Amino acid sequence: MAKTYDYLFKLLLIGDSGVGKTCILFRFSEDAFNTTFISTIGIDFKIRTIEFDGKKIKLQIWDTAGQERFRTITTAYYRGAMGIMLVYDITQEKSFENIKNWIRNIEENASADVEKMLLGNKCELNDKRQVSRERGEQLAIEYGIKFMETSAKASINVEEAFLTLASDIKAKMEKRLEANNPPKGGHQLKFAETRKTETWLSKCNLL
Amino acid sequence: MDFQSHNNTSGNKFVCPSDRQLALRAKLRAGWSSSKTNEPLRPDEQAAIISVIRRNEEIETAERQRVGRLVERVEKIKQRAVEGGPNCCRLCGDTFGLLRSTRIICEDCKKSVCAKCSVDINIRYHTSDRTREIWLCRICSETREMWKKSGAWFFKGLPNYDAPSSTNSTPTHQSASGGAMSDVLLPPRGAQSCNNTPTRNVRVKKLTIHVDDSSSSEEDTNGGGGGGGDVVDGAISAVCAVAPLTTARTPNRNSFNADVSPPAATRMQREDSFRLRTFGSIRSFIDSGERKLSNSFFANRQSSRTESNQQDYDTISTASTVTSVNNRRESNCNYTRRSSVSSSWSISGESSSGNSANTSNHVPNHNQVNLHCRELLGWLEVAVSYRESVHSLDCVMVRARDLPAMDAAGLTDPYCKVNIVTPDGMTKYSRWLRTKTVHKTRNPEFNETLQFVGVEPEELGGSSLYVAIFDDDKYGHDYLGGAKISLSPVHNTNQYRISVPLGGEDRFSNEAEMSQEWPHGKILISLCYNTKRRALVVNVKQCINLIPMDNNGSSDPFVKLQLKPDSHKNKKYKTGVKWRTLNPIYREEFYFESSPHDLNKQTLYITVWDKDIGKSNDFLGSLVIGYNSKGERLQQWLDCIKLPDHFHEKWHCLSGEHPTH
Repeated sequence: MAKTYDYLFKLLLIGDSGVGKTCILFRFSEDAFNTTFISTIGIDFKIRTIEFDGKKIKLQIWDTAGQERFRTITTAYYRGAMGIMLVYDITQEKSFENIKNWIRNIEENASADVEKMLLGNKCELNDKRQVSRERGEQLAIEYGIKFMETSAKASINVEEAFLTLASDIKAKMEKRLEANNPPKGGHQLKFAETRKTETWLSKCNLL
Repeated sequence: MDFQSHNNTSGNKFVCPSDRQLALRAKLRAGWSSSKTNEPLRPDEQAAIISVIRRNEEIETAERQRVGRLVERVEKIKQRAVEGGPNCCRLCGDTFGLLRSTRIICEDCKKSVCAKCSVDINIRYHTSDRTREIWLCRICSETREMWKKSGAWFFKGLPNYDAPSSTNSTPTHQSASGGAMSDVLLPPRGAQSCNNTPTRNVRVKKLTIHVDDSSSSEEDTNGGGGGGGDVVDGAISAVCAVAPLTTARTPNRNSFNADVSPPAATRMQREDSFRLRTFGSIRSFIDSGERKLSNSFFANRQSSRTESNQQDYDTISTASTVTSVNNRRESNCNYTRRSSVSSSWSISGESSSGNSANTSNHVPNHNQVNLHCRELLGWLEVAVSYRESVHSLDCVMVRARDLPAMDAAGLTDPYCKVNIVTPDGMTKYSRWLRTKTVHKTRNPEFNETLQFVGVEPEELGGSSLYVAIFDDDKYGHDYLGGAKISLSPVHNTNQYRISVPLGGEDRFSNEAEMSQEWPHGKILISLCYNTKRRALVVNVKQCINLIPMDNNGSSDPFVKLQLKPDSHKNKKYKTGVKWRTLNPIYREEFYFESSPHDLNKQTLYITVWDKDIGKSNDFLGSLVIGYNSKGERLQQWLDCIKLPDHFHEKWHCLSGEHPTH
């Protein structure tokens, strides 16, 4: 039998072609980096199990092709994703501008409460930077999502980004399961206890 | 799916464009880009993608089996559950109510479980500002785990799963790119209708579970007696009913289904009932006892609610509309309940006579049998009419039937407390109206009209009537059952008459309970029978809200204790005096020599006094606990005898009457 795990989270990486989605995933899953550019064909995924609060979370991370021609295939995988990483290249203005199109794409195809996160990749190439960190942060705030600048090559923030997304999903899950139980009056005993403190104080004041 | 279509169409698309097409493209200046989008996949690309999909399929298979195991685990626990009724622990069948162990109400299913079956499920939740402890029975806690672990929390329904018996599911799934993944993930709505890919093997069953957590908080506030957790029961048992090995326990449910023809039973249940009607014999019907009957009744009722659950999933923002939808749905439920009442009762009558022997050996009243075998806390019949001219809502509490017994004789002194619940889930009146108490009966005929004035006609639509029934006792009013009745069917002229099943405690019943006035305060008493010293240990812990008797606005309380009748010549005891306080803390222990046998005929008299020097002490309040007590007091007393060497602690209300010895 395969490794046991407590939760299976399905994550998705999207963004323009060449921003480094595959490299980010490669860094996260294998902790390695490959300089040669191989365009992803359609879709691919990698598995990594992480541990969080004593729970084993198996992450199935889908890597999608950024190219337009695979769009029909890639969008089919939006629906199943619990978390989506939006990746742009800080050295390519265009890839950043396209983020809003990707967001629209998510809104159209993904589940409504999918957890999203914005990543500005290739942050080790500071001299070629076209998109400032502030702009990235600003955009993330605009969409109400988290933001990080990463570098797959220099291994900056990649691990953190995935862990953040996974923990956000887990937090959402726990919140969801808790939300259905609004605090209610409690039974008699509890009630009596709470009332005790109130009356105790009020009666003390009377004296 | 998309990929498949690509494959199909690739033959046509993958041809060199004709001159005419090229000319057109040049004119449109669209370039190649527009066609590139639809450019078909090359064979090597197809192969690459297919290999990814294959890899994914392996994972999906493993995942389906894992989910299958999760489901099986919950099912097993469920099968082992006794489901004995409101006065038994849902899991181990230990009786409380009248007999022994402490009752804990599960947060999700609102059913009663004993401490043993809920000890390890004390879950802490980290809300933004504080930690909240809730109790769940083992079934509900496992269901929650399953809901989390399977990913159902996200996809709003359990994904496809393989029952563990099928260790190797045949990989006959369609190799479509979209299909492989997307049909494992259920869309939020219409979970039933989608996902019926016929290529799946038979063992893969889809479970239409809508656990409590699917419902948003609005649902909860609107929910009537039974919690949403019942939904899970219903759906899961519906599924396990399909499995051949569990058919034995289901026939009666199904014959019940068939008889009553539930309005909104899930498809699964319908199939199920159809199947079983064909070979369900009367024999098995009687054998498996009637208690499952009520299960199925609840399942039906809940399943009709699942739709509304489903609906208010994504629409938390539109709370008000959802609420009204729910209310309406609930009124539908009420209708159906009414229609099913007669048949369900005839059935329960038969079968209770059939299996009365094994259910009750310690309960004096034969009627008790019914009580123990049912999930229901009884029925309430109400007639509501509205007079527009005076804007008053007249609610006739007609009668209640088969209320839980509260004293050793199996009787109850019930009365109703009534309020109106507005669409936003609040009680309309701060003062609850109450009927007179009908004494010594479990089938009271109230026949009392309670009038709510100042009810606008437009209010009726979203509001509902909340009726909570309590047992009247000098030392605390115990909750018997409650019901929420939608007012939307109430019209100007004709009287709206309805019979509803009573459910367990909820927010409103708590509110009704709290609205009771206890001017004489409360006392916390801990009882324990010490087997070594052969003595009843009474720990007087504290009192709260005692009445002030002295001029300084306070009292100097002490507590006197006496056990009667007393063959061991025990002393009368009293605690020390706590000066100038209305909330004294004593924590003093007293030993009364006695035997467990004697305790069954003894009563502990507790009186609270205000110490006065120079004049006689003033009486502050009294409490009587013993074999002839009722409700919570009786329960504590019996707990103490049944589970010796354990302290049983409870708050009790003090009565202003001096106990007549």
